[in-house]
This record gives sequence, C-alpha cells and structure tokens, in this order.
Amino acid sequence: MMEFRNLTRILPLCATLLAGTALAAPAFAGPEDQSITIGMGEDFPTLDGYINTARDGVVITMHINDMLIYRNPKTFEYEPLLATAWERIDDKTIEFKLREGVTFHDGSPLTAEDVAFTYNYWADPANGARVQASVSWIDRAEVVDEYTVRVISKTAAPAALEFVAGSLPIYPSDYFESVGAEAFGQKPIGAGPYKVESFGDGLVKLVAHESYYEGGAKRTPSITTVNWRIIPDTATRIAEVIGGGVDWVWNVPSDQVEQLKVVPTLDVALASTLRIAMVTLDAAGRTGDNPLTDVRVRQAVNHAIDRETIVANLVGGDGEVINAPCHPVQFGCEQSAAVVYDYNPEKAKELLAEAGHADGFSVKIGSYRDRARAEAVQSYLAAVGITAELEMLQASPSFSGWREGKVGMWYGDWGSQSLADSSASIGSMFDGSSNDGARDETVIALVKEAAAVSDPEERKAKYAEAIKIITEQAYWVPMHTIVMGYAYTNTLNFEPTLDELPRFYDASWQ
Amino acid sequence: MLTYLLRRATMAMVVMVIVSVICFILSNVASDPAMGIAGAQATDEDLAVIREAYGLDRPLPVRYVEYVGGLLQGDFGTSYLSKRPALDMIWERLPVTALLAALSMALALAIAVPLGCAAAVWPNTIIDRLAQLMAVTGQAIPNFWAGLLLIVVFGVQLRWLPISGSATWAHFVLPSITLGTFAMPPLMRLIRAGMIEVLAADYIRTARAMGIRPFQLTFKYALKNAVLPVISLAAVQLGFMLGGSIVVESIFALNGVGYLAWQSMSRSDMPVIQAIVLLISMIYIVLTLLADLLNGVMDPRLRTSRK
Repeated sequence: MMEFRNLTRILPLCATLLAGTALAAPAFAGPEDQSITIGMGEDFPTLDGYINTARDGVVITMHINDMLIYRNPKTFEYEPLLATAWERIDDKTIEFKLREGVTFHDGSPLTAEDVAFTYNYWADPANGARVQASVSWIDRAEVVDEYTVRVISKTAAPAALEFVAGSLPIYPSDYFESVGAEAFGQKPIGAGPYKVESFGDGLVKLVAHESYYEGGAKRTPSITTVNWRIIPDTATRIAEVIGGGVDWVWNVPSDQVEQLKVVPTLDVALASTLRIAMVTLDAAGRTGDNPLTDVRVRQAVNHAIDRETIVANLVGGDGEVINAPCHPVQFGCEQSAAVVYDYNPEKAKELLAEAGHADGFSVKIGSYRDRARAEAVQSYLAAVGITAELEMLQASPSFSGWREGKVGMWYGDWGSQSLADSSASIGSMFDGSSNDGARDETVIALVKEAAAVSDPEERKAKYAEAIKIITEQAYWVPMHTIVMGYAYTNTLNFEPTLDELPRFYDASWQ
Repeated sequence: MLTYLLRRATMAMVVMVIVSVICFILSNVASDPAMGIAGAQATDEDLAVIREAYGLDRPLPVRYVEYVGGLLQGDFGTSYLSKRPALDMIWERLPVTALLAALSMALALAIAVPLGCAAAVWPNTIIDRLAQLMAVTGQAIPNFWAGLLLIVVFGVQLRWLPISGSATWAHFVLPSITLGTFAMPPLMRLIRAGMIEVLAADYIRTARAMGIRPFQLTFKYALKNAVLPVISLAAVQLGFMLGGSIVVESIFALNGVGYLAWQSMSRSDMPVIQAIVLLISMIYIVLTLLADLLNGVMDPRLRTSRK
C-alpha cells in the first residue's frame, strides 16, 4: 500500500503541470448559490459524534452539533456556546447555565434535560462511546432547573472542560430516545450551525440551520450549503480540486503543496497543527533485552538523526523541530527544560562504542504516516551503524505494534486529541500505560501529580521536571511538529487552525 | 451430472469453512481489534472497556464457535462501528461493485474477442504484433496508475468525464476502462492461443475446403471451440473484479464493496471484513461452478468425461 501511495505522488505532479497551463473552471456550485463542495478522505458509517471519532468525524460533528462551551483555536480560551456561564462548585462539580431560546434542528428547545440525558447516556460504558477517555471521567449529570445543569466527575478532573468543549456534543433527548442510537447516527439532529439534509453514498449534504442562535462563539454560516464528498484517494482528491470538482481539500502531502502553488486558481497552505512526531525508543526492554535499554545508546540515536534537515526537506511549511515530548503551544510544555541533542554522528558512534556496540546492532522500527521521513531516519541510523528494519503499516496496526512491544523503535505521531495541555501529550505517553516505552517511575508519578493538581504554576513545574528527566534519559527522539496541507479555491476566505478542525461556518466566498 | 454437482457443492462448503477459519484468525491476530475500534488515542482503560463491551476479552475459539453459529443462522455479524448488520452494508454497496465489474468485463471481452481472433487469423503479422503489444501494455500498467492517468487526461485536462463519485453513468466510464484494460490481456491471449489451435484443426480445414466464408468460419465454427477456456477464465476474472476492485474503487471514490473492505480493514471492523471475504469466496465458488456447467453445456465431451 505504501509503495502504491508513493507512486501515486508522481501523477498529481503531472496533473499540476497540465492544470497550471489551463484555466480551471469553477466548481459546479460555489459563490453564486453560497455553497461549497469539500473533498474529505474518510468515509463514516455513522454521523454520531460519540461513535464517529476519526478526525473527519470530529469535524463533521462540530458542524452539526454544539458543545456546551467552545475553545477558541487562536487564544485557547473557553468561550460561551450552548452554555453562557460555568463555574466550578467544588473539586468535582461544574455548573453550567444554558443559553435560553436555543432550538435543535427539528425546532424543539434545548434544555438542561437534553444535556443531562446526553452526558448520562454516553458516560455509561455499555453504550459504547468510542473514546472512553472523553466520557469516563463523568460520574453523572444533574438537572438543577430548566436551564441549569451540573456535571459531577468521579474524581478531580482538571481536563474536564477540554472534553466538554471538544468531544461532548449535546443531543435532543426526546428524538434520540424515540429513534434509537443507530437511527440517530444515520439522521442526526443537533443544535449546531448546520443540519444534515442527506447522508449516504459517499456524500453528506449539510444546509445552514436557519434559526441558529446569535451570540455564541460560532457564527451563523454565510456559506449555506456544504456538500461533503468522500474521496478516499489523495491523488484523486487533489485532481478534483485542480479540476474544480471540489472547492476545498486537506491532507495534501507537503511536496504536493509545493507543486500546487503553480495552479492559478488555488490557494495552498501547510499550516501548523497540535500534532507532534517522535521516535519512541524501547527503553523498558519490552521487546526483550536490547541495546536501547542503555541510556548511552538512546543518546546515540538522538545524536544520529538530523532533525533540522528532515524538517527542512520533508516536513516543510510551518513545521518546526521540537526538543521536548510535547507541542510547544501546549500548557506546561517548557522547551527550555529539555536537554537538546545536536546532530553529531561522530558523538553517536562514540557513545555506541562506549556502550559496547561499536559494530552497531539491528532493531525494528515501525512507522505509518510518511515513508520518506521514516526512510530518512533509517538511513541516519545506518550511518552510525544501527540497522533499522523498517515496518510500514496502516496507522492502527502500526501503533498497536508499538503498544504491544513488538518494535524497538516507532516513528509515529501524536495529536493530543487537539488538547492544548501537556497532560494530553507527556501525560498520555509517559504515564505507565502501554503507550509508555520508558516506564520511568519518577516520570509516571510526576505526570500523575500534574494531572491532579489545579495550581497552574505547580503543574508547570511538574511537567518541566518530567521533560528534564525524559530528555536526559533520551526516552524519545522528539522530532518535529506535523503540518497539515490544504488546497482550496482562491476565492474562498478560509483560515486553517492549529487544532486541525476546519470551520466552514467561518468560511465565506469573496 | 448430479453427483458432480453434489461433489462440487461439498467442496465449496469445505472451502468456505477453511476461508472462515483463516479469515477469523488473521483478522484477530494482525492487530488489536479493540484499538481499531477505540482509535489510536485510547488509553489502556478505554481498551479494557471496549474489549469487554464488544466481547473481545473472551478466548478466540469461543468467539469463533459463536461466529460460526451465527453464520449457520444467516447472521454474518454486526459492524463494530455502525452497529449495523454487515450483510446489509454489503448489499447496499454490491450494486456499485457489480455494475463496475459487469461493465469492465463487457469492455474487456469486447476488446479481447475480436482482437484475439484477428491475431490468430493473421498470426505473426503487424495486426498480431499490435494486439500482443496492447496486451503486454495493458498488463504492465498497474491499474492505479492507469486510473490516475485517465483522471489527469479526461477529468482534469479535457473535462469530459467526472473524476470521482458514483452519481451518474458517466462516473463509471473511467473506472470501467481502468479495470477492463487490466482484465483484458489474459483473455485476449487465451483467445489467440485457442483460436490458433482450433484453426489448425482438421474440421476447420474441411470446412474451409467446403467453401465456408472466412468470417463465418472464424466466428461460428472456430470461436465456439476456442471460447471454452475463456469462460472459465472470465469467471475467475469476474470474481477477482468483485473482490479486487479495492484500488479502483478507492481511486474513483466509488462506494462499492472493495472500498468497504479497505475501510473495514483499516479500522479493524472485523465482522464486516469477515462477511466480505466469505461472500466474495462464495461468489467465486458459484462463478467457477457456473463456468464449469456452461462449459459442460457447450462441450458434450466434458459432460461424458465427468459422469
């Protein structure tokens, strides 16, 4: 499959060159009727936001539904959405005051009853919410009065509001109960800026919710119809946007973003995301006794890889080298606390010799996203004598391979569920879970404490301490931030956001 | 004939059981299905909850027995993701794949039969060489490459045809050409080889001596005999198209069974994968059986030898 993908990269280039000489016609719809046709890569069997949690699913959920509060992708502050005010009553209880006069797409009013029902329903593991972490902290939700609801967590949950803002859409209780979960996923009703007009055969048609409330953080859409087309193949998606069949695509590989710059009808961007890439190392010896359990070998690996060159040539755009195991914009991600390893293959060889591996050793490295980058790492390792056997797989089996301790190294990435807090990066990858290839007791204790205290300064100090140990011990090779490639018709006003969630209600035609 | 049919049906059942075991084991050990369901961000606790909720914490043999029990009652399993019966999801998408396969096969035969005949009638001429060149080219070009090339030329540059989707008949033109040109070469070669053999046979020489016109001779007398192995091959090719149109369906965003298979694999939606594999192997077996029967009807010698 990966070979296939690599080969397919050549064709969009041809397409670009051809199209660069032609004047692309506009999409079959567009500014005239305030509609947009977008090309997405992932198909979904359901539109239920608690089940359909892939990235494209999260995007469609936020167009159909509203959460109680909104996290501004620029300031990372919480803003009112369905709730106009919220406060922590005690360690475990948050009270939300709901906006009055909000209606669902079927015209029924949104009340505290709907919120409590939605939270309580999905907090029950038996109902199978796919990301249990988003709901498992909820003990229960209680109706106080028609427009007041309290959410009570099982234990103190500093990240609760992140989930409230990010992954807990509010459903109409009456409709949900009357049709059942399965039918709801086929024909959902929400309180978001768009309602679903049709869904099936690789197409979702969204139309603006005409009685969408004013005053929330999301604006009433100026683009009234979103034709959401599922085009799984990247090369085809790119050909469609060049040909004008669709107005907007994403997940464009960085080299092709460069090529697409010559197309006169398109705007392109390689924008920052909250996603980071890293090479994880089996320091705990999960693959059995191996050289990576020696700190000198891990430091050698860190010195062996030229991250600057990889970022400059293979990541591009807004991509940047990271030194700490978290994204620089995340709360608590103090880059200055990290020990930085420069690119120094000689030093790497010395360290390897010191550790008794002057002749190098062999290791398995798993990866999935980008073969070119993985092969670059492979050859940097080869240059210091480490033979890395590359195993390219689909995302899920690749990550399973690391979590189950089948590979000694893994060049993967981590999106932190778009949460701008180190608890979602360091806290998820060094917590003693199967993500954690270091199993450092001190670090585990630090990240657990940092997740439980509420004083921001104290949290920062704990994460800084964790970063120091993680980098001293070279448990990872922190690599770089990941950029997202976009291409869209140049008469569209669209701005990519750091959380990788395109907002079409914010977009408009010029 | 009846014994033959019964024997084939029993064989088919055995094959199905073997396929179901292999498929079940492979899809369970290749990667952790719980992670496929819960997504990469899932914590260990999430995975535990998911395993319990979906019954993945029980031993493999127990789950297999349960699975086969369901199969015997016509229950092919329920998708982990959509919670819908896997069979329903396949039926919904089967028309797209079946149409694609039928169009591609029609196209492949429409090219392969006349071309193969012409190459055999005039062997080692420029016509023969051109036909062979077409076959080699058709086989050498991977279908994803051919598909993208067609997209670039006819979709992006000339804008004659839509690039992706399955809304109108026009959407099927490029995918059918892609898949059809891939299926054509072996058919063409087989027809050519068969025709050359048949045209050298005594009865053709006799017919020719009797003054039968060349056109009639080729298409009525010779082709009928040369076409027998082609039927078997076409049946296998059709089966291949049903199951193997994954690449073409994903390139052209056709919402067919092939794409469903790929999608389910990447998300570890095992019940759907298993249902597709079983169904495709069933179709394969039925097609092969039909081809054998058809051959039997067309060639009495096969009937007697198989009694």
